[in-house]
Amino acid sequence: MEVIFRIKRFDGGSSYWDEFKVPINMTVLEALFYIKENIDSTLAFRAFCRMGICGSCAIRINKKPMLACETQISKLEKETIELEPLKNFNVIKDLVTDFEGFFKKQKLAKPYLIRKSKGEIQQTPKQLEEYYKYTLCIKCGACVSACPVAKRCLGPAPVVAAHRFNRDSRDEGKEERLKALSDHIWHCHFVSDCSEVCPKNLHPAEVVQKVRLEVLKFNLGW
Amino acid sequence: MSLNTIAFYLHRITGVVLSLYLCMHFTFLTSLKTGDYERLVKASKEFFVLHLLLFLACIYHGVNGIRLVIHEFGYMYKYRKILLYLTFVITFVIWVLFCWKVIK
Amino acid sequence: MKFRYDVVIVGAGLAGMRAAIAIAEKNEDVSVAMVSKTYPTRCHSVCAEGGTAAVFDKEDSLDLHAWDTVKGADFLADQDAVELFVSECPKEILTLDAWGCPWSRTEDGKIALRPFGGQSLNRTVFAKDRTGFHEVHTLYERILQYPNIEIFSEYFLTGLIVENDEIKGLTAIDIKTGELTLFEAKAVILATGGAGRLYGFTTYSHNVTGDGMAVAYRCGVPLKDMEFFQFHPTGLVPSGILMTEACRGEGGYLLNKDKERFMKRYAPEKMELAPRDVVARAMWKEMIEGRALEGEHGLYIALDLTHLGEKKIKARLPLIREAAINFAGIDPVEKPLPIKPVAHYTMGGIHVNKNCETDVKGLYATGEVACISIHGANRLGSNSTSECLVFGRIAGENALDFVLNKDFKLVKEDEFFEEERKIEEIFNKNGSESPYAIKKELNEVMDNYLWIFREESGMKKAVQKIKELKERYKDVKITDKSKSFNTDLIYTIEIGYMLDLAEAVAVCALFRKESRGAHYRLDYQKRDDVNWLKHSLAYKTADGVKVDYAPVTITKWEPVERKY
Repeated sequence: MEVIFRIKRFDGGSSYWDEFKVPINMTVLEALFYIKENIDSTLAFRAFCRMGICGSCAIRINKKPMLACETQISKLEKETIELEPLKNFNVIKDLVTDFEGFFKKQKLAKPYLIRKSKGEIQQTPKQLEEYYKYTLCIKCGACVSACPVAKRCLGPAPVVAAHRFNRDSRDEGKEERLKALSDHIWHCHFVSDCSEVCPKNLHPAEVVQKVRLEVLKFNLGW
Repeated sequence: MSLNTIAFYLHRITGVVLSLYLCMHFTFLTSLKTGDYERLVKASKEFFVLHLLLFLACIYHGVNGIRLVIHEFGYMYKYRKILLYLTFVITFVIWVLFCWKVIK
Repeated sequence: MKFRYDVVIVGAGLAGMRAAIAIAEKNEDVSVAMVSKTYPTRCHSVCAEGGTAAVFDKEDSLDLHAWDTVKGADFLADQDAVELFVSECPKEILTLDAWGCPWSRTEDGKIALRPFGGQSLNRTVFAKDRTGFHEVHTLYERILQYPNIEIFSEYFLTGLIVENDEIKGLTAIDIKTGELTLFEAKAVILATGGAGRLYGFTTYSHNVTGDGMAVAYRCGVPLKDMEFFQFHPTGLVPSGILMTEACRGEGGYLLNKDKERFMKRYAPEKMELAPRDVVARAMWKEMIEGRALEGEHGLYIALDLTHLGEKKIKARLPLIREAAINFAGIDPVEKPLPIKPVAHYTMGGIHVNKNCETDVKGLYATGEVACISIHGANRLGSNSTSECLVFGRIAGENALDFVLNKDFKLVKEDEFFEEERKIEEIFNKNGSESPYAIKKELNEVMDNYLWIFREESGMKKAVQKIKELKERYKDVKITDKSKSFNTDLIYTIEIGYMLDLAEAVAVCALFRKESRGAHYRLDYQKRDDVNWLKHSLAYKTADGVKVDYAPVTITKWEPVERKY
């Protein structure tokens, strides 16, 4: 059994569509390697851990941003599958997009533990669960690709990172972080596609609203 | 394009349409002389269909706006899909009722 | 392009990032560049699952941790390095705690511990089953705060520039533009990770190809103990994705087709929690002797977690469940997982001392790329992430001491042009061989002849075959002639690296006429301390691999028979 991959290529100058036949019984990422190793070795894509935890291989599969490694072709239930690079990123080549800006934006949200106190730290499992879910962001860029306003603001991922530390009982830098966020967080229109595409189900749309309320309260001094 | 994104663009477009209309509307109103009912009635007849569509835009923008406010204040996130469908349904129902009332 | 930094770290995994932080913590004026072929959060360290070993239990002691490590290593570990290592582990855990690592906790808020293979007591600190992922993210977040650390992501290491046994810098391809870039440095720390993609069935990420090892090896730095390659007992069939040892630590069983917990015949005391070499060998034996299960992807052993219950699996092993569902279509809550032994860790590596120094002045190696050697012939589970943290810091601090009050040694234009010429030469190759076919054959050779059970004839074949592949590699074809993001070129260079490393592995393995730890020979089934209690050192020469030997440092523990 075979399916057809329609891949949007870009060679630095022009972009065009290319078609390849690939076996159905593999993941999208394995099929990309199949193409690279057997049909066209000029195809460029990013891949690393192939187990859904490094965040390298997010591309748009039939318009939806997904991790290529986690997606079984058979589950897509289509005979033709369209692969495109992520939106809202500059394309470098074929399915590879430029992530420099994405990682620079992360920094603006101060996504790190701010702690002045010294000495032994305690944290109960309950306190851990308060924020644990939000530590799972793999920075794959799927949420940014789905967001129609991401180009003009931080995008969902950094806000999730900030929220993770705001809820961490060890952290002492929430105010600093909210101050840093207050210039960057108002563009969200609750399109909420970021929540639909997040491969780790972190619900960035909900998080952004929560953080916005916190920033609002902080700025108003409530 | 997902329904979420469509809702977002519709909100934008209806917003722009409404503000443009408001500007035109105010210009028109200020250009009226006292007791100039004839022109007023004529205009409302000429643009009857457009007015109906304008009201559709107005209802959508309002209902969708309420939906967004609900979410922005952190409520009903879990029911976001239902709320989205409801927005379209409610908009349509209100509009049909309005049209029925006006045409009758 | 040309950059100049006091210290250049190659590799942005746990060890590389820890080294960078160690330097920046102590000195704000020393400039540090972290050069790596991926973004830091995409490194292979994120795939570490089970945990990080450190002594926290009240009944535990540093000596006990050291003893377990030495015994696990089948006495090939350098014991002075092991003692240093175990004494530093707990500090690193607490440091990471203060930097925000979400360690799993006990009810009273303390750091929780879980049992792991080959350990006398619970000694593995963990963050669910995503320990490496959280450690990497914690270090990455920390790095954002230091202004003197510059990150160069997607730069591919191509060569070190060494003169008179002193490092002067390195060259790397900027993958995005395709340009060869020169980094001048007073000190270079290699932290590029292992060489696991030598094998076809492996837990490793796609690009873990031993770049640092190969580049150093080509500069004349010896590789130590390359014949010791760890096979993890539980790789998911068919993809080879790691099912952490914590599955067994939390109480999972290994079952053969008779639903028998066969480990009772091989390690009656430790059962499933014997060291990895013992368990992997036992499993392979079961498979060879016809007691394995059979599915559409061939033979496998069952990893049964069903008796742990949904609640425990969801709380302690969420990633395992997610991966098993996504990649094998099986929920471990309901059904046992199909697994078999899988290539997992390179015990060998660049020959360094316990200060992470190589014989080249200013060149350091740390993490999996280095062989310090604390893992000897077999690494214990959860010692690798500890090693990255402990020796990452040590490498960083030593490199910092080295660069203070030192001047840059200028890299001559000719030296750079020479590197550029080498890359050009590969880039322009227009032969008839597909690099991917060569890689596939290399993987088959390694999987067939240098797997868990080895013997003379097979290894001789492997050496021969690798030589042939190296010849064929000279006639390789690079189809992609574009500059930007040319992964065809990058993969081809990587395959060249792997061929060199595979040769070292095969030759060292062929020479070692004994069974020790992960190196098990059917023709020499016993350990031979009289002749072989020594490290192999592989040197690259014009006529192939030259193997030399170095003594093992023994401080407290004389070799005894290894039983579990």
